[in-house]
This record gives sequence, structure tokens and C-alpha cells, in this order.
Amino acid sequence: MSASAHPDSTDLDRLHTAVKREKEDLAPESKPAPLWAMFLLMLVAIVAGGQLGPMAGGWSFDVSNPFAFAGGGDPRPGGAGAGGALDPFAKAMKKGSSGYAVCGGCHQGNGGGLPGQFPPLANSEFVVGGTERLIRIVQHGLTGPVTVNGQGFNTPGGMQPFGAAMSSEDLANVLTFVRNSWGNEAPMITKEMVQKVRDEEKRTAQWTVPELEPFAKKDVPGEIPAGPGATAAPAAAPAAK
Amino acid sequence: MQTTPATPDTDLQADNLRRAAIDKSVKGPVLFLFTNGAFWLMLSTLLGVLAAIKLVEPEFLGDCQYITYGRLQPAHINALVYGWGVQAALGVMLWIMARRSGQELKSGKSLLITAGVFWNITITLGVLAILMGKSTSIEWLEMPKFVWPVLLTCFLCYAWPIARMFGRAFRPEGFMVSTWYILGACFWFPWIFITANVALHCLPGLGALGAGIDAWYIHGVILLFFVPVGVGAAYYFIPKITGQPIASQQLASAGFWTLAILGGWTGMQKYMGGPLPAWMSSIGACTGVLLLIPVGLVGLNHHLTTLGKHSSVASSPTLRFVFFGALFYPVSGLILALNSAFWTGSGLQFTQSWYSFQVVSVYGFFSMCVFGAIYYIVPRLSGCEWLSVRLIRNHFWFSVYGVGTIVVMSLVAGWQQGADLNNPEHWDQTFMNHVINSRPYVVSRAVAWALISFSNFMFLLHLLLMVAGLGRRSSAPTLLEHDHDDHALPHEAHA
Repeated sequence: MSASAHPDSTDLDRLHTAVKREKEDLAPESKPAPLWAMFLLMLVAIVAGGQLGPMAGGWSFDVSNPFAFAGGGDPRPGGAGAGGALDPFAKAMKKGSSGYAVCGGCHQGNGGGLPGQFPPLANSEFVVGGTERLIRIVQHGLTGPVTVNGQGFNTPGGMQPFGAAMSSEDLANVLTFVRNSWGNEAPMITKEMVQKVRDEEKRTAQWTVPELEPFAKKDVPGEIPAGPGATAAPAAAPAAK
Repeated sequence: MQTTPATPDTDLQADNLRRAAIDKSVKGPVLFLFTNGAFWLMLSTLLGVLAAIKLVEPEFLGDCQYITYGRLQPAHINALVYGWGVQAALGVMLWIMARRSGQELKSGKSLLITAGVFWNITITLGVLAILMGKSTSIEWLEMPKFVWPVLLTCFLCYAWPIARMFGRAFRPEGFMVSTWYILGACFWFPWIFITANVALHCLPGLGALGAGIDAWYIHGVILLFFVPVGVGAAYYFIPKITGQPIASQQLASAGFWTLAILGGWTGMQKYMGGPLPAWMSSIGACTGVLLLIPVGLVGLNHHLTTLGKHSSVASSPTLRFVFFGALFYPVSGLILALNSAFWTGSGLQFTQSWYSFQVVSVYGFFSMCVFGAIYYIVPRLSGCEWLSVRLIRNHFWFSVYGVGTIVVMSLVAGWQQGADLNNPEHWDQTFMNHVINSRPYVVSRAVAWALISFSNFMFLLHLLLMVAGLGRRSSAPTLLEHDHDDHALPHEAHA
């Protein structure tokens, strides 16, 4: 520091000019910030706050699902807990109602069918009667003349078999839905029942009504989960063979 | 530094001498760091080009395991971050702190050079290890375990004298504005670095949390090391060159403290909806958006400072780089907010848009500010002026266009990838289809890194000539354009 106290010209000449032409360090001023900028920053804070709240999962170390606040369990379709709040019958009715889209094309959305072409499902003995006959019709198809509620139907080609295209669970859901809609009331059909019929009967040809006569009053044995689907059971104690 | 009325001339001369003495005292370490950093940057950009090409055309340059994408990409990022980024940052920090505190680097110069040599040797080994397949597979910490204690020690060798300069300095009003950031960077980097390495390498059975810690580390290094150094440099050089004082001390103060408080809370939103406790990503998302506040405060302050001074941006190389670097700061903040918020982040998650944030922060913002600083510092250390206006201009334009392309294309690519990944129609598609769909963006990335590579070749060449003392011998600075104002004396021009 003694050198800088008495600078001589020789030192200065050797100084690189870049240092000499520098501007002084300046103390900052205190200009006011514009008000609109402050409002923008508040907006930022509000948006940021929106990332907390429900997304924080209650600040619990055990919750990793940011949608836990919605109470729906895992939000992915088919994920654990999806529809977990529904009892088996309600769940079957819900899934069956969407599965019925396949049937509704012919039997109509109100289950009334079309006169002369497609028989109705509402109040049909074939639907609310024995489950064995109903499952066999849907599983393997039906052809030939049918009489439902006093009206005759004979659709060319008959009803297609749906067994190959649908899982036994989907089929059971649709049948439960059909048996409990439009005024129908009958015990639910479980996937185990459908599976039992599938395992017993491997035919590929469609049924005719006379062929099915032996099964008209028969119910497929099987457990029905406790709940609303079982209460309406006229044959809750299944007519076992 | 105020001149007294009695002997203004003598005092000015004394001040000049003092600053020249400070420059001389830090010359060795600073030039060493800049030169080696520039080499790493060159290598990193070349690896970036190669990695992008390999992502599109895996057979390029033959079927050799050492140059597969999975090894090139981490080598590219590690060379960029530790080879160039941290090294160049330390050089800028040392010089600015010495100048601002008015302290010469008294002793330990040889220790600093030794630490620098070890830093470079270690990173060389680390990058080679990555290419040999010894990567740890932890993003930004891919170099093998043995590297970390060495890097930490070398960093502390530099951080200690910088912090000491701050401690010894006479601190007039306004002293803090840029030195805050430099001092903060000295402490924050070791904190983040130690925490992440101890957690990831020493704690067993972290599981998914390890990924979260790694994301926190990346954001910490960017927000609490690269950002402070870039902002500190911008706060130092903008008033220094324009001759315009920083507009608002209060804004500067608020911008610093909000960054200091918020910077260490973000990162885990990368795994939003993932197997981490939900509040971790929730806090990360909140802070990622809140960080727009320090970004906005700093941007506003720079805007108020440079209002009406934009002509010197055209002429001074330093100001041009720093100014455009400072412009990239709000851009990086916006991209971080987009990546972070649940609303947009759920679409951008795990896409190229996260690469966009890394590149805009490390190259677009930090590196551009550091280039500006280097264009200012090196003539004062080497005793000669930059040789060629054309080299500087090319360096600037190719860098700006290159990094702009990467940022925009990665963001658009991220948007498209995210939309595809989240689209239920695509749930049965193989992941390869998404990779193939993103190819056009990766091609543009390769082109952009090639532009940046070209610009850095010129920068490296120019810097080497300067360090060798082969620059222009002149009393006038190298300006990109000459002022139209003929009355201005040459030495008053912005340099």
C-alpha cells in the first residue's frame, strides 16, 4: 500500500489503459418500482399458492397421490380403489349399463325391443326367469321362432352368440343390469355362474326355444354377494339339481 | 473510492494503481480458470452435437460402446457444468470480489493454481469414466464417487479467499448489490453439493427419494450457484459500463433475499404424482412458480437501469453479452414455472422441456453473463486488447441463435411429447414411437449445438491469443460498433 500512497509517473505509464478508462463504481439509487410490476408479482404468488393446498396431500408422509383430496383413490381407470365405494350389485349395475350398449342396438335402450323383429327384455319371462336359460341364450345365441309376452318373433339369423366376445364378468354385469332394469327385478348373476355354464356347455350352434325348455326354470347354483342384488331373490336358495 | 476535493488527480492515480495491483494479484488463477473452462466448453458443445446425432442415428460413427447416447449425454452435461460452468464462475467470482472489496489476493496463489489443476484432472478422469461406462447414473452427478471429495476441496480452496476478501472489505452503501450474490454462491454450492453427495452416496436404501434428492440438487446448483453468479456479474457490469447506477437498491435487496429463501426448496416437482410424499412435489411446484418473484425483481431492476442506454449494448462486447444473458434470466424463470406448476407441469413432465430449462439457465443465462465478464476482465489481466471484432460478433450471434434454437425447440418438443404421452389414445403405443416422433426436434438440437460449438471455437481461439499476450497493443478498447458521437473521447467509450 505504500506504493499507492506516492504514485510516480513511471508506475502510471506502465498501467494498462484498460484500468485507466474504467468508470467509477456507483452507489445504487432508490428509484420507485412501478405499481403494475408489484401487482404482477402478487399474481405470481397467488398462482404459486394454488400448487399447495389439496395438492400437498395433507402434509402426510404416507400420501403420494396429489389427487388424494378428491377421495377417489387411484385416479387411473381400473386402478386400485377405483369404484371401491360401490357394493358388488351397484358396481355390476354401473358396468352393466355401459355394457348394455351392445344389446341396445336390437333390444332398444328402453328394453322394449321392436315389434315383429326383436323381442322385449322388460317383463320377459326369458330374462327374469331361470338364470340357466338366460345365460345359455346370451352365451351361445338363439334362433327360430320365439314367443314373448304373447307376441311372436322370428328374426332371420336369430341372436348372435356373445360368449366368445365378452368376458364372463362383462356378461354377468350386463345380465344383472338387464334383470334389474325397466321394472324387472331378479337376483344378480355373478361371473362364477357364467363361467360355470361356459365350462359345462361348449356348443357352437345357436339354441332354439324347444331345446332350452329343460332349462327354463333352472337357476345356476352359486353364491350371490349379500346386498341389494340378493334381496330380490325369489330363489335365493338356488334350485340346485 | 470517492475522490477527495483536495488532490483529486493524485487520488485517481492512486486508485488506478490500486486496481491494477488487484488485477495483477489474481491474474494467474483467473486466467487459468478461464482458459481451462473454455477448453471444457468447447469439448462439451462437441459432445452435445454428437449426443444429439446419436439420438437420431445410433449407427453414426460406428457401433462403439464408448460413444453411445447414454454415455455421451452425461459426459456432455458434466463437462458443461463442472468443466466450464463452475470453473468459469470461480474465475469471475474471484475477480469481482477482489475488485469490489478492494483487496489484493495476498497469498495462496500457488494453492489456487494447484486446486485448479486438481479440479481439471479430476473432471478429466470423471468424464473418461462416464465414457468407459462407470457412470453412477445420477443426473448431474454421473462422475464416479471418488470425484466428489476432490471437487469439494478444490472449490473450498477458492471459496475461502473470496469469503475472506468480503470479510475484510470496507463496505460502503451499495457494496452489497453484486457481492451478495458472489458471497452467497461461495456458501450455497458446498452446502448443496455436500448434502446431495452424502445423501446419494452414503445413505443406504433411499429408494425413490434418491431421485427426488437428485432433482433438488440440479435445481439447487442452477438456482443457488449459476444464477447468483450470473446475476452478480450483471449487477456489476451493467452500471460499470453504462455509467448508470443500479436503479433501485430496494429491488436489488428484495431480489436477492427472495432468491436466497426460495432457491433451495424446488426440484422435487419433477416427480409430481410419483412415489414421493405428495407435499414434497407440492412445495417444489409452489417454489418453482414463486421463483418468478426474484426473477421479476432482478429483471425489473435491470430494465429500469438500462432504460435509454441501449446504444452501448450495440458497441460494448461485455454489455452486449451481459444484457442478453440478463434477458435469458426471465426466460429461464418462465420455463421453470411452466415445468413446475401442476397445471402445465403434468404435460411437460419427463420431456425435453426440462433439458430446455437446464440449457437456458446454464448456457443462455449464466454463460452469456460470464462471456461478458470475460470480455471485460481478460484485457485487464493480459495487458492487451481483444484482437478481432469479427470473432466477438460471431461468438455472440452464433451463441444467441444456437441457444435460442435449443430452448425454443426443446420447449415445443416437450409440449408435443407430453401431449402424446398423456393422450389416452397413445397408451398402447410403444415408447419407441415417442422417441421417433421427437426426432425432428433432436435434429434441430444437433444443429444448434453445432452453431454453439462453432461460436466457442472462435471464443477459445481468441482467448488463447489474449492469454498468450498476442492481443492488440492499443489504448482503445475493442468495440463492436463505433459511437456516432464524435465528441466522446476514446477512453470514455464503454469497454
